[in-house]
Amino acid sequence: MKNKLTKEEVLHVADLARIEVTKEELEKYQVELKKLLDDVEKINEVENYDDEIMIAPWTNNTTLRSDVEGPMLDPKEVLLNAPHHTANYIAVPTVINENESEGA
Amino acid sequence: MKYLNKPIKEINKLLKDKKIKPTDLLDEVYASIEANKDLNAYITLNKEEAYKKAKELESIEVDNLLFGIPIAVKDNICTKGLRTTAASHILENFVPIYDATVVEKINEKNMIIIGKTNMDEFAMGSSSRTSYFGAPKNPWNHDKISGGSSGGSATTVAAGDVLFALGSDTGGSIRQPASYTGLVGMKPTYGRVSRYGLIAFASSLDQIGPMTNNVYNNALLLNVLSGKDNKDLTSIETDEDFTRLIGKPLKDVKVAVPNFFMSDIVSDEIREKVKETIKILEDNKIKVDYIDMKYIDKAVTLYQIIAMGEASSNLARFDGIRYGSSYENPENIYDLYVKTRSRGFGAEVKRRIMVGSYLLSGENAKIYYNKALSIRDDIAKEFDKVFEKYDYIIGPTTTTTAYNLDDPMDDPSKSFMDDVLVIPVNMAGIPGLNIPIGLSKDNMPIGMQIIAPKYEEAKIYQLASFLEEKINFGGDTNE
Amino acid sequence: MSKYLPTIGIEVHVELKTNTKIFSNSRNGYGSVVNSLTNVVDLGYPGTLPTLNEEVINLGIKAATVLNCKIRRKMHFDRKNYFYPDNPKNYQITQNDTPIGYDGYVEINDDGVMKKIYIEEMHIEEDTCKSTHRKDNTYLDFNRAGVPLIEIVTKPCMTTPNEAKLYLEKLRELLFYTDVSDCKMEEGSMRADANISLRKKESDPFGTKVEIKNIGSISNVKLSLEKEIARQEKMLDNNESFKEQTRRFDSKLNDTVLMRVKETGNDYRYFPEPDIPFVEITDEMIENVKKTIPMLPDERREKYIELGISEINSNKLVQNRDLSDYINDLLDEKIDFQVAANLLLGDISAYLNKEEKTIEETTLNIERFIDLVNNVSNKTISSKNLKDILETIMTKEDSIEKIISSSDVQNITDENLLTEVVDKIIDANPESVNDYKNGHDRAIKYLMGQIMKETKGGANPALVMSILKDKLDN
Repeated sequence: MKNKLTKEEVLHVADLARIEVTKEELEKYQVELKKLLDDVEKINEVENYDDEIMIAPWTNNTTLRSDVEGPMLDPKEVLLNAPHHTANYIAVPTVINENESEGA
Repeated sequence: MKYLNKPIKEINKLLKDKKIKPTDLLDEVYASIEANKDLNAYITLNKEEAYKKAKELESIEVDNLLFGIPIAVKDNICTKGLRTTAASHILENFVPIYDATVVEKINEKNMIIIGKTNMDEFAMGSSSRTSYFGAPKNPWNHDKISGGSSGGSATTVAAGDVLFALGSDTGGSIRQPASYTGLVGMKPTYGRVSRYGLIAFASSLDQIGPMTNNVYNNALLLNVLSGKDNKDLTSIETDEDFTRLIGKPLKDVKVAVPNFFMSDIVSDEIREKVKETIKILEDNKIKVDYIDMKYIDKAVTLYQIIAMGEASSNLARFDGIRYGSSYENPENIYDLYVKTRSRGFGAEVKRRIMVGSYLLSGENAKIYYNKALSIRDDIAKEFDKVFEKYDYIIGPTTTTTAYNLDDPMDDPSKSFMDDVLVIPVNMAGIPGLNIPIGLSKDNMPIGMQIIAPKYEEAKIYQLASFLEEKINFGGDTNE
Repeated sequence: MSKYLPTIGIEVHVELKTNTKIFSNSRNGYGSVVNSLTNVVDLGYPGTLPTLNEEVINLGIKAATVLNCKIRRKMHFDRKNYFYPDNPKNYQITQNDTPIGYDGYVEINDDGVMKKIYIEEMHIEEDTCKSTHRKDNTYLDFNRAGVPLIEIVTKPCMTTPNEAKLYLEKLRELLFYTDVSDCKMEEGSMRADANISLRKKESDPFGTKVEIKNIGSISNVKLSLEKEIARQEKMLDNNESFKEQTRRFDSKLNDTVLMRVKETGNDYRYFPEPDIPFVEITDEMIENVKKTIPMLPDERREKYIELGISEINSNKLVQNRDLSDYINDLLDEKIDFQVAANLLLGDISAYLNKEEKTIEETTLNIERFIDLVNNVSNKTISSKNLKDILETIMTKEDSIEKIISSSDVQNITDENLLTEVVDKIIDANPESVNDYKNGHDRAIKYLMGQIMKETKGGANPALVMSILKDKLDN
């Protein structure tokens, strides 16, 4: 078994997590991440478990909320902690690729 | 110390009889914190507001046992208007605009929040050394860690600064530091205490709980914290007094000790101490059996997968846009993300969210994550099976006593392995409590955990109070 | 006939008509002050947790029911992880494993041919915030963040752009009539993406998929698919290969333009949302929702045609929900529905449009409308004269009879009176009478006109014609 991840593997997960890995850090992460990934490989030692999953140790099903409006923030409060804002908007560097969002 | 070494009922009487004022308690608290400054228990003190509140309380009737009593709050619990950092650079200047539900509950009882305690960054760690603000020190020995992630809360209560502190426990973060510092620390049933306002590390594992220097106070604080919260769908209805079984005789009680908990991963000294405690139980006609439990030796592995996976998602929101520190003059949006996060997060956090992202990506979600959720269900069932026959599961809380602050941090697995005995409880969502059971040869506290089925916190306090009385660890602050 | 066979699938997002957001109790509204409809949950503040709006589940059940979907009885939510500034938590809460509805269909009528469009699944999720892109910055307004959405995904089962159009029209009609959504594409409360690929014959594997995103209207969905088919055909004819890609429709260029080429599959790192326990959908919940489903558009159309309304007018009525709901309140009455439909779609619609009112805002209640229909169908009043008294009818409470009799527009049905007028006009226009007798049919129209003029338009035209013909032919 190799004892470190490839540089590409580290850079891929760094990209997924939006973490910058500098050239100096790369080597360190190659080893450290590999160590943790070796740890989690131990899951493959487990056999004879049933398919049922536990997402979380929930006790109840979801109690639905009535569709009644509650208090909202003043736009000023929305901006209070935002590092950059203009008028009532929160501002970020221009996102060049319009409609890129995949969410909706 | 004038007041803070007294039982809570006596302090309450003094307040009620107007012999002392809440400000007198604060004077003592802040003098003690100042004297113990070197312990680095706090990230932010709330002195001005605390005195303001204490003054206000002078004109209000003392209506409950915790009225006017100071409390320290772990710094991953949001306090409106009071800086909340989660011990991270990325939230160094973050002032929440809302209160966590537990904070509202504390305020309703007119307890006084004295400050925000140090911790591992985003609760990721087992020694509080990942804190951006430096590690807190163990009051028993200043060269030692006080554990983590709730290390600051453990430190300040153990140092005698304050009687009550809030911690949070994702994989032992209340029980393990309580063990290292000789405190009572409870990780309640998942859902017992609302998580609303607790900065999430791993949502399916996180739980807020009380840290105190005796069992009664612990149960008393859980009374305040617990209950269904409409803002947290995973919270459960509570209508009980957790102190109700304290001091009640233990009849026909059966206790299980998993062999894994007494295996050679645990130091000889701690195993011996636990055996002494087991002897006390047996001498009091409590039946103790050693049992095998499937899967619990794999709990750490499941924890690594589930906690890192959830954390990678929970911490995605720290992007420098709506709150928190933000990289100035980024070249583009991607640059804003990576520079803000790389500079804002510490090494442990970055490592965990990278691994978490990896574990959820592509096919890995099936290979690791879904499998972990399956086995997690089996661990929970395994606990259920044991509890069909036994009232409690007990065992050591930690494998060693608190180690040195300057021990190396170069092994990324170490912080997980520190919690190998406490993690199974979080996996199953059941309650667990640390009770101090003695001191090591080098005078460091040793703790034992008491585990019970879901919702059986009162029963845990019953056994804990029994042991507290028999062992009489650390003095006279009992009720 | 083209040598390529298109395969089309459609994904639609609709914003649900609720008071509050899906996971928080701030208002679900449109057009308010920027960042005024939010709370800490919508902003993804540290420590906040989602709650789940009951009405979202109800509307999900409703949509699933009218789209003939099976309803998931126990479901959870999932997190879709991706970094984007319009995504406050940098994950979206959606349903990946257990969509609320699945295996459904809607039926379209493609020029008389009925076809089922199969729905793969429909799931509930949260909307993103609105971003406005400028040169200096992108600006974020979180009012839309957390607005409830349903995403409805068809199987790749459509073969022409027109089918896609008919499907969307049908979907819009159903969701609008059930109050699931107001389905306004121009306000973004209904958004459509289309997937299209071409292949030579049905036994071939699917061709390279192109996604066309966020098309602003149903007609542009059809148009963009037509353009895209033409573009792909040309490339295939020239043996040019192309990569899976995302395009958008540019309504100025009237064509699709490339947004990005898909390199590898997006890695959304889905996992089950631990903050929202299982949602159980009971029989009782489904029954309660079903009770709130009104008569659906297809049934309305059928019913109208059965009552004698023309197909065109039936369709027009269904397109105007206010009027359709209005007429549905009198389906059991014995009236001339053809007249009723003509009135509603004609003079009354014109009046309502002009006054910018809904029919509910006028004084024309059901009882008076029935009277009006009867008076028109028995020709007590002509449609021409109706125009003169319509405003009175729509604004006053008086009975229709009273308004007609007091307004000097009553249709003259008195045969003696009309015979007098006819005689008078015949005497005054001998040339026209001659023309008629010499076979110039136009002459009778002139005479008619003169009679109507004489009676100030009040004469019952049918009666006049019969008297006039009687006189001239004998």
